[in-house]
Amino acid sequence: MCGIVAVVSPFLPADARNDAVAHMIAAEKHRGPDDQGIVSSGPATLGMCRLAIIDPEKARQPMSSIDGRFHLVFNGAIYNFRELRRELAGGWNFVTNGDTEVLLAGLSRHGEKFLPRLRGMFAFAFWDAHERMLLAARDPFGIKPLYFARLEDGLVLASELRALAASRLHAMEIDPASVAEYLAWFSVPAPRTLYRGVTNLAPGHRMRLSDDGRLDVRRWWQLPAPRSSERAASQAEFERQLRLELADTIRAHQVADVPVGAFLSGGLDSTAVVALMRAAGADRLKTFTVTFDDPTTSEAEPARNSARALGTEHHEERVTGERVASEIGNILRAFDAPTGDGINTYFAAAAARNGGVKVALSGLGGDELFGGYPSFRDLPRLHRALGPWRQVPRSLRGAIVRRLQRASSARSRKLADFLAYARDWHELAALQRRVLPEANRLALLSPDARRQAERLGPMHPSLDEFVAELLDADPDQIISAWELRTYMTDVLLRDSDVFSMAHSLELRVPFIDPKFISWLWPQPAAWRIGRPGTKSALADATADVVPAEIRRRRKQGFTLPFARWMRRELRPFLVETFSSASLARCPWLEAPAVSQLWRDFERTADNRNWSRVWAVAVLVAFCQEARAA
Amino acid sequence: MRMLLVCPEVFRADGGIARILRLYLKALCATAREGDEIAGVVLNDSDANDPRRSSYDGPALKTWVACGRRRLVFAWHVFRLARRTDRVICGHLHQLPLVRLAQKLNSRLNYCLIAHGIEVWRPYSRAERRALLGASCILCVSEYTRRQMQRFLPELDGRRLVVVPNALDPVVQAQAAPAVFPIPADGPRLLTVSRLSRADSYKGVDTLIEALPLVQRRYPATRLRVVGTGDDLPRLQELAAACRVSGSVEFSGRLDDRQLQAAYAACDLFALPSRREGFGLVFLEAMSHGKACLGARAGGIPEVVDDEVGALADYANISDLAAAVTDLVRHPRSPDLIRRRAESFGYEAFAQRLRTVLT
Repeated sequence: MCGIVAVVSPFLPADARNDAVAHMIAAEKHRGPDDQGIVSSGPATLGMCRLAIIDPEKARQPMSSIDGRFHLVFNGAIYNFRELRRELAGGWNFVTNGDTEVLLAGLSRHGEKFLPRLRGMFAFAFWDAHERMLLAARDPFGIKPLYFARLEDGLVLASELRALAASRLHAMEIDPASVAEYLAWFSVPAPRTLYRGVTNLAPGHRMRLSDDGRLDVRRWWQLPAPRSSERAASQAEFERQLRLELADTIRAHQVADVPVGAFLSGGLDSTAVVALMRAAGADRLKTFTVTFDDPTTSEAEPARNSARALGTEHHEERVTGERVASEIGNILRAFDAPTGDGINTYFAAAAARNGGVKVALSGLGGDELFGGYPSFRDLPRLHRALGPWRQVPRSLRGAIVRRLQRASSARSRKLADFLAYARDWHELAALQRRVLPEANRLALLSPDARRQAERLGPMHPSLDEFVAELLDADPDQIISAWELRTYMTDVLLRDSDVFSMAHSLELRVPFIDPKFISWLWPQPAAWRIGRPGTKSALADATADVVPAEIRRRRKQGFTLPFARWMRRELRPFLVETFSSASLARCPWLEAPAVSQLWRDFERTADNRNWSRVWAVAVLVAFCQEARAA
Repeated sequence: MRMLLVCPEVFRADGGIARILRLYLKALCATAREGDEIAGVVLNDSDANDPRRSSYDGPALKTWVACGRRRLVFAWHVFRLARRTDRVICGHLHQLPLVRLAQKLNSRLNYCLIAHGIEVWRPYSRAERRALLGASCILCVSEYTRRQMQRFLPELDGRRLVVVPNALDPVVQAQAAPAVFPIPADGPRLLTVSRLSRADSYKGVDTLIEALPLVQRRYPATRLRVVGTGDDLPRLQELAAACRVSGSVEFSGRLDDRQLQAAYAACDLFALPSRREGFGLVFLEAMSHGKACLGARAGGIPEVVDDEVGALADYANISDLAAAVTDLVRHPRSPDLIRRRAESFGYEAFAQRLRTVLT
């Protein structure tokens, strides 16, 4: 786990490139405090800062081939590196015991064809001095980030946006269209970023910069075919195989030469991960939970019970409103891009790092793969209603939608979006993850940003791409895919990366494993999802290791007592953020409408709107921070 | 075999659908075999003897009826002619339910639909669903359109959805003499061709205008010529003024075929960063002049424009659009290669493909 950067330009002298790279590494230092390095070759300069996990002593980066032709900077972990190393050993004289050299050897020999062989999370930049070509790629779900901006016949790339800003090679201007996208989705979906001209290399994509300066970006990974011959013959066979596949991915994700711990919330996903780690032989396992003083939202008790039953060394990180308020500046600086989520990961990562582990496993992805979210229950109902709804005369439909858009309840306004825009499973799945209903979003935007939002429309920008990928998929696969490819990728994984890296912790997500997902994806929905919300497949497959009370416990969505904090400890921050002077510095927003949003939240006792108010506050505060920086 | 072509319009308008339906008429007549008979009924055309028709018809065309927008007359002719027809080729989804009704009068009749693009990318009414499910084949203008039809009608047998890409019109292309000059170092002359109606604002002409200042930072002499007219024109002119590029944007209005070919020949790059093109015939026309094309990564455009013959940008991403223009100036695409790509979508290949599909 590291921060990587690169500058390729035939026009910039080596000194200028080295200088820019040094500034970029300094901006990413928190991602890798153990080591750093820079290498220059022709028009390219690569740099990195390293969090040493595998072969800490020898596997330094940037890593170069002995003949000096190939150079690599790599962020992430390749879990099958030992197997790949055996395959490559005939043509490469390995001098380290790490995954970086395996990646270097594989790319040197096979080029981008090596990508599908990788099992892990990664973002890398690979320079071929002979071909004067840069190859960069991201893992299938984008667990590790990679951003870039074009230079004349070249580019600058980095693990974080702040590093691109530190390079001073690209003007970081906020794009009003991206502000509009953020208000819709809680994040700016790839390939856009908040900044004009800065691209988020989409998950499962690679880019190639040729000697003549031409850039070619292509997708190298997509979800497996919806139905394949790999399907289990019976449900019993499915459960038996699921248990083996789960054990396999957990074993793979424990590969490290430093202490490995786990996040444990007391829910089924994280408990299953910890239980399988224990079953795989992890002794003296440290687990970490974020707790609150509000017993209705705190998961302290179930997490404690799980830890006791599984025999882990359990640590609780108590988070209070005062603590969040006192750390809000650090949290905002850690964001890298605005997000309406992720504060819990910030504190859990701090606890894990302070607790002495450098790597932690998380149960992220279980809800998306095993049908834990309400969307798996709600969308089929909405889909059944779409047919009769379309039979209603258009004028009456319009009147009903307008009425719902004016309603005070956010739920009604969201229903208005479904009724106005959804035409099939894909559009239902896209809209159910919207933060602000379309009418509210447009009202909060300045005329310029509103024009951009209207041009982009209410739908997710990746709609066409997902439709093409999921043409023969069944409804549960469509819902799963949308959860995996939008909210999980753009919000949960991004937040997990920046907040774990803010504390120099490597967070691993064993459910989001290409090998595991390739096997699970084509299995019949009735077995994989079962009754929506229960994650019965996961519960049944881990019945021998997960305590019964956890398996029977109803899913409780992870909730911070944020609404209460916003009314008390965080109020001064919010008052300042929503002040006229502050909003005047955000020309993409319609200041009176934003103020009204905050005043409405303050005035009423209704807490259901807190996440929308918080998402807007984060955007405003982030933009102020970015300007100040 | 007796075939009936049912169309909304063929010679009355110059939009993409009308132009491709002319090609269908030409290809059907040209590939007709001994004893084949072709008839046509057109809803919106007023003159059955439009002078342009002679360039597209042939001896096999026995009947051509223009209904002058009279729907009842149109329906009557469709029913009348369908009774002695083996196959109907329907030029627009809106007319397909009528064709299905006509099938009730002639049980040996089978029918096909030409699916152009945006008109089939949506849920279907009950009548349309029935008509679609009864079609012997659906001729989709692009793979993208085929996918959209599968999306909104999953029960449709995928084997009936056949991709028949649009093609260059040899009648129009014959009037042009392709010419290519190096792109001027201080900035390219961009051309876009589109209806400028508010309903078609997805064509992305406004995004081109907004990208112009960014391109001009690097290439100050860059100019944009906008061909087409419609009720969105005042908004686009205001936008050009607001972006301070009025002096660099020329609104040329509607051009006839000859003038349009001259406009293609005179430009350096062609651009239509549209979100909803079923295919984008204008790209082919520009490519036949050896011009590199800039399109949006949306709809059927990526099936026509790729990195070899142009560049793609994300829809409505202004900086991406500007970067794509810069890329095309810095790395000019080979005019010969571009022309060859256009030729691969030539009329002969289209006619042959159509003949194969229909037999």
